[in-house]
Parts: sequence; structure tokens; C-alpha cells
Amino acid sequence: MPAQSIQQLFARYKILALLLVVAAIWIFFHAATGDFITARNISNLFRQMAITGMLACGMVFVIIAGEIDLSVGSLLGLLGGVVAVLTVNQGWSTPVAIAAVLVLGVLIGLFNGFWVTRLRVPSFIVGLGGMLAFRGALLGTTHSATIAPVPADLVYLGQGYVAPLWSTLLGVAIFVVVAALALLRRRRRAQLQIRQLPWWADLLKVVAIGIALAVFVATLNRYGGIPLPVLILVALLAVFSYLANQTVLGRHIYAMGGNLEATRLSGVNVARVKLVVFGIMGLMCAFAGIVNTARLAAGSPAAGTNGELDAIAACFIGGASMRGGAGTVHGALIGALVMASLDNGMSMMDAETYWQYIVKGAILVLAVWVDVLSRPQRD
Amino acid sequence: MPGESCLFEMRGIAKSFGGVKALDGIDLQLRAGECLGLCGENGAGKSTLMKVLSGVYPHGSWDGEIRWQGEPLRARSVRDSERAGIVIIHQELMLVPQLSVAENIFLGHELTRPGGRMDYDAMYARAGALLKELGLHDVNVAMPAMHYGGGHQQLFEIAKALAKDAKLLILDEPTSSLTTSETEVLLGIVEDLKRRGVACIYISHKLDEVMRVCDTVSVIRDGRHIATQPIAELDVDTLITLMVGRKLENLYPRIEHAIGEVIFEARHATCLDPVNPQRKRVDDVSFQLRRGEILGIAGLVGAGRTELVSAIFGAYQGKSSVEVLLEGRPLKLRSPADAIRAGLGMVPEDRKRHGIVPLLGVGDNITLATLAHYAHAGHIDRQRELAAVEAQIAARRVKTASPALPIARLSGGNQQKAVLARMLLARPKVLILDEPTRGVDVGAKAEIYRLIFELAAQGVAIILVSSELPEVLGMADRVLVMGEGRLRGDFPNQGLTQEQVLAAAIDASARAA
Repeated sequence: MPAQSIQQLFARYKILALLLVVAAIWIFFHAATGDFITARNISNLFRQMAITGMLACGMVFVIIAGEIDLSVGSLLGLLGGVVAVLTVNQGWSTPVAIAAVLVLGVLIGLFNGFWVTRLRVPSFIVGLGGMLAFRGALLGTTHSATIAPVPADLVYLGQGYVAPLWSTLLGVAIFVVVAALALLRRRRRAQLQIRQLPWWADLLKVVAIGIALAVFVATLNRYGGIPLPVLILVALLAVFSYLANQTVLGRHIYAMGGNLEATRLSGVNVARVKLVVFGIMGLMCAFAGIVNTARLAAGSPAAGTNGELDAIAACFIGGASMRGGAGTVHGALIGALVMASLDNGMSMMDAETYWQYIVKGAILVLAVWVDVLSRPQRD
Repeated sequence: MPGESCLFEMRGIAKSFGGVKALDGIDLQLRAGECLGLCGENGAGKSTLMKVLSGVYPHGSWDGEIRWQGEPLRARSVRDSERAGIVIIHQELMLVPQLSVAENIFLGHELTRPGGRMDYDAMYARAGALLKELGLHDVNVAMPAMHYGGGHQQLFEIAKALAKDAKLLILDEPTSSLTTSETEVLLGIVEDLKRRGVACIYISHKLDEVMRVCDTVSVIRDGRHIATQPIAELDVDTLITLMVGRKLENLYPRIEHAIGEVIFEARHATCLDPVNPQRKRVDDVSFQLRRGEILGIAGLVGAGRTELVSAIFGAYQGKSSVEVLLEGRPLKLRSPADAIRAGLGMVPEDRKRHGIVPLLGVGDNITLATLAHYAHAGHIDRQRELAAVEAQIAARRVKTASPALPIARLSGGNQQKAVLARMLLARPKVLILDEPTRGVDVGAKAEIYRLIFELAAQGVAIILVSSELPEVLGMADRVLVMGEGRLRGDFPNQGLTQEQVLAAAIDASARAA
């Protein structure tokens, strides 16, 4: 049956399906507005998605581990507010303030994790409590007023670009690293006599990555170069993919979400793994909060409102499982791209705000429905 | 007894699961007010038979005929058979802990007023009356069921059955989570129900209970009906002889292995029931284990074997205490992580819930316990890991298309071999295997047995918990027998028979009676 083979195709190449969705959305908006797919707009789009993307990086780990964190929007706001207060009101230098906020983010994340793992309050409740409490702390810290103007070096972090020449060099460097890693892997496998993919499959993969990189960099270069928040996001994608696929921590996160009891019986300290996951989530809130303040050039008491919803939606659109144990970082980021594209496209169409909410909500449910369909039926 | 009217009759009941015959031509009959004891070893087919009778397996999914009050009964669901008056009380309590006692008793059969409104007054009055009949005078039926202990909860289940006007009550191991005095109350109630004309089928491993309340006993073995006799013509020894007698298959490729010095010791292991803490699931069990020895732990379901080994491994979900000594050194094991680090390994009983991580690949499952061995500073050397995985897959003969295939796609036997491989990579000195061949096909079984002997020959001390007596007798060098949480026997496996083991597993006091 054709329906079944399409289903199999989607199940096997989930990313392909997601990219098709993105392409369809872009084509639709380009047809509707006439200038959606332009260097300027694509550059803006990626910058817009950076903040949701940073949250999604941390959130996807939380969801794979079988938990949820609803406090991240408020925490993003709070940490962004703190960096504004430290630099504007307290006169701290930007690097010191950033370092302090990153540490604070980790500590608050660990605090959330402590409630979940040691005190065994369900993460949904801890998140809900944090959502209210952190928003309150933000209002208290900023006295409900916008903190501005933040120093220029901080603003650069949110609004600056990597010059085109450097962007190109960076793209080339990334490509060289990818190619070298593929080559090293083949050599190592040959050494250990492990089954290899045929050489053309690896070559095809490297070439595809190369083309995607070239198009990405070339497009952004036509509008000033790679925006700094996008650069940060690309770096985070690399780090989080590495954590997920190449480290003991990542494997334990997947195992724990897939079967907590079996993982515990295998001698994994599941409470500690979960604590680390929440710590990482806090760190990502700090990243997102700092970049958000930098982008707005001000600390706002409303910053990050509903940010948790966008991040969670991005993870689920990207194929993470409600039951834990499944999900990918790149999937979550493409999910964030879907959400950002919808926001951006509908603003360009001058659609009323209420339509944005309705459409985003509908897309979330539809995307997860497609994901459910593509999954093999279980008892 | 021709002429006398049967309440219920089963003729030639047969049921297969995927080509394996679980029941093969069972006949039973029962009159009103009669209590039939149903006996058989673990896995003899008792539960399957009762699921046929109570409609869990709908009419048509099995062969044979059930006649109920002279009419053929074709129950398509539990609801159909309950409407006829057949009610089963399962071994595990099926109460909703948060609902009140009365709401539990009437769950699915609520008393209502017009408009679907719950008639609480009527339900409270009726629930109170039902519980009084059962000798419970101090229960507040408006309180959540979880406020009462295991003994009370079991009686709530019976009240629930009576509220459905049960004419035939099936009790599946009803005393397995009760204390001695609670058991007394329950047996008294069964006798009382008989006087009121309710028929009972009483399934229990506790033969003293069977001897006390039953009028007739039917024994089944390997899905076949072996004998039905009036209780007056039976004694415990005869019953045991009828129950055993499964043939010993030549599945056990014994490899001679030297048994060395004492390497492991567990002292005073005690586990409390998480729901009913007055009851001890394991009661002061101590034993020793030697290098290269295969120690079988036999016992009937609910004897406390799994609890014992979980407590040793630091994995018991409830209160427990045990002193563990490995190579003479006392160990403090608070978690499985501690146990594995110290040199213990365990393959848990329930593979689906406690063994595999279904979404992960076969390889990832195999290295789950030892991932740190393939990592530097948290970075996994995937190629080295894969090499180790492929070596294990080959050595353990795990049949899988690829190490990356999700383990849920493998057969039970291959999943089990992968879980075993996971523990073997940790190089345990003492390996606990809890029902390692449950749900495993014969071919994989033989491979697992061979592996166990090989490990013993390498000096690994093995604790083999098994419900299958032929397996224990075929594998073990020494057999511990547990019953009701206590150690009931410690036999060297020389000339040991199934009868001896089963007799030890069944309450010793019943033998005197």
C-alpha cells in the first residue's frame, strides 16, 4: 500500500519529512508575501529562532529523560534581567556579568533538579512553581521596568555579525572538520575490523553537508555574515549532538527515559544524571536570557513569556517522545525553525496576533499526529 | 455423581498460545456450596484455566465447552461471566486505592438514582452490611481503601464479589499477601460462604489451606488434568506426588566445574511488604555461596525469592536489611550501582520492565552497565564500544540484523542473551539470575544453560532463581528452598528429587496434619 510505504519513509527519515515541512512553509509564505525567501529575511529568521533554539537544546534532553520543565521562559526572563541589572545598574563589566549569569543559571537549574530528584516533586509541578516564582523574581529585580541601555559590547552579542570573510573561513573550517572526522572514523573501523558503510555513502553524506553549509553561509553572507546568535546556536548544536551521541551522559539520558528501572538496575546513578540534565537546562536558560537581552538591547520584565511553550513545541515537532527515551537535538532545532518560520511569515503577512497563536497551536498538534502515525503500533 | 445437579461443568477445555498447548483437555465440575481446590506447580496452567472460565479469554479463543446451571456459557468478556455469577479474585489486589471502600465495592456496578446520580447512602448502607457479613465491623466505608491494610483489602475484594451476587467465586492465591491471622479470617469466611451455597474454586500453593477448606481437589500438570479426588482420600504427600512428575529433559549440558572456597555470604536478609509492612516477604534468610558453585533457589510463586535477591543487589523497592560479605569483606550496597561496582551482577526477573531499554539498540543495551569502560572523560569511543558489542553478540549468539537495531524487535531469547551480555561485561564474581529462561524458546534456553555452566567453570559463583523444578535440579550444585519468606531447606543436589524440593517448599506444618 502506498500509504504504508510513505509511512515507512517518514519513520526512517524523520528529518527529511521535517525539512519538507519547513520547505512547504517557506514556499507558502514566499508565494503569499513575495519576499520571504530573501537573504535579509532568512538571516532575520535564523536570528529569531536562536533563542527558542537554545532553550530547545536543553529542553530536548529534559524530555528525552522523561521529564518536563515549564519554568524556562520565566527563568530566561529572570537571567536576562539579571545581566541587564548587573551591567546597567551595578556597572559590572560585560564578561564578568555574563560569567556570573551563566553560573547562576546552572545553580537555578540544579535547584530545580534537586526538587525533582531528591525531594521527588514531579517536574511538571516544579516547573509550574518556577514559572510563577521566577517571573515574580524578575519583576522584583527590575522593579517592573525596562532596564536600558545595556553596554554596546553586550548588544553586539545579540545584534552583531561575523564578517563575511570570517564566516566563509568558518564554514570551510567546519567542512574540513566534518570530512576529517568521517575519514578518521573509517580508518578506526578498518583497524578494529568493524562493518563499514560503503565509501560512497560516507562521501555522499560529507558532500551533502558541504553543500548545505555553502548555501547557508553564502545566503547569510549576502546580508552581513553569520549573525552572532546563530553562530552560538550552531556551536550549541555541535556540542549537544556530541553530548547526545558520543558521551556516557547522553547514553544514560536516553536509557533512563526509555526504561528508568532497567537503567537503575544496570548500575546507573539515575538521580545524578537527571540532576545534570536540569543543570544543563538552567545553563541554556542563561544563554538564551543573555542573548535575548542583547538582542533587545534592554532587560524587559516581559522577556521570555511563553518561551517554554515554544521550546517544548519545538522538541515535540522535532520528534521527541512524550514518554521519554526518544528525540534528537537537530530535530528539536528544526522544530524551533518551524515555529520561528510561522512567527516570521505571519508577521510579514500582517496576520493578526491571534492567528499566529491559532496556527502555531494547530501545527504543533498536526506535527505530533504525523509523528504518531509514522510510529510502529505498540500494544 | 450422576443425578445430582452440577452448578458448573467444564469439558475438554484446550487453549494454545502460538502453537504451544497451555491447556489440553481439562474437565472440571462443581456443585453449589462446594469448594474445589486447584493444585499444580508453577506454570501448570491454573491461571490460564481460570482466565478461560472468567471470560478474560473470550469464548471462541479456546476449545471445549463450559456449562453453567445446565446451559452452555459463551462469555465474550469478564462482564458476561460476572453477569452469570462467576467472579474471580485475582492474586494481586485490584482496588483503586484513592476511591472509598464503598466506591471500590460497587465499581462498575454503582447504585444510582434517576439521572445517573450516585446513590451514596444506599451504597454505604449496603457496603457496611456486606462487610459485617464478612466479620468486619470497624470499617468506615467512606474512607479511601488505601487506609486499610492488605488483609482488609482482600476482604473488600470478596465483598465486591458478593455485591455482584457471585454464585461461583474463584480465589487465586488469596492469602499470598496476608499474615497468619488474616489468613485465618479469610478461611473462616470461605467456609461460611460454602454454608450459604456459594461455590468456590480455591487456587493455592499452601496445601494446608487447601486441605482445610476444600471438599475436592483437582490437580493439573503441564496443562493436563491429572486427578480429581475428594479431600478425605488425600493427604499432602499424595498431592505432592500428583503435582510433580514433569519429565526431566536433557537440556542441561553439564560441564564439570570445580567448586572452591566460600566467596559470598548473605546474612539475616529481611524484606517487608511495601503495602502491608506487618508482613515479611523475606524473613531472616542467610546463606553462603562458593566460588564456581551454581546455587539454585527454588520455591513456589510468592515465596520471597525475587525479593531476597533484589535486597542483596540493593534493588528492593521497600524496607529491607541484609548483611552481605564478598570474599570475607562486608559490603554496604545501597543501590545496584554499588552492587555492580563491588562485583555482583543481576539479570532481573521481568525482562520487559526491568531488563531491556526497548528503544535503544541491541549494542547500547549491552554496554549500558559498563559504558565507562569505553570512555575517556565522558567521551565514548564508539568504535571500541562497537568492537566489544560485536564480540559479545558473537559469543552469546544474539541473533540480530545489526547492533543498532532496537532491542524490542528481537525475540525474547535474544533479548535475554543481550541482557546477560550486559552483566557479563561487568565481569561479576557473583551473578544472580532471576528466572533467566522465562519466556525463552527451547533453543535459546539450551544456550543460556551452557553459558551458565561455562561461567561456573570460570569460577563465577551463580545464584539461579527458578520456578521450574527440572531447571533447578538440572543446573544447580546445591538447592535452597524457600517458602513464605523463610529458608525451608538447603540440599546438595545429589539424588535430589522434585518431590523432596516441593515438599520442602510447601508448608512443613501441613505435612504433620
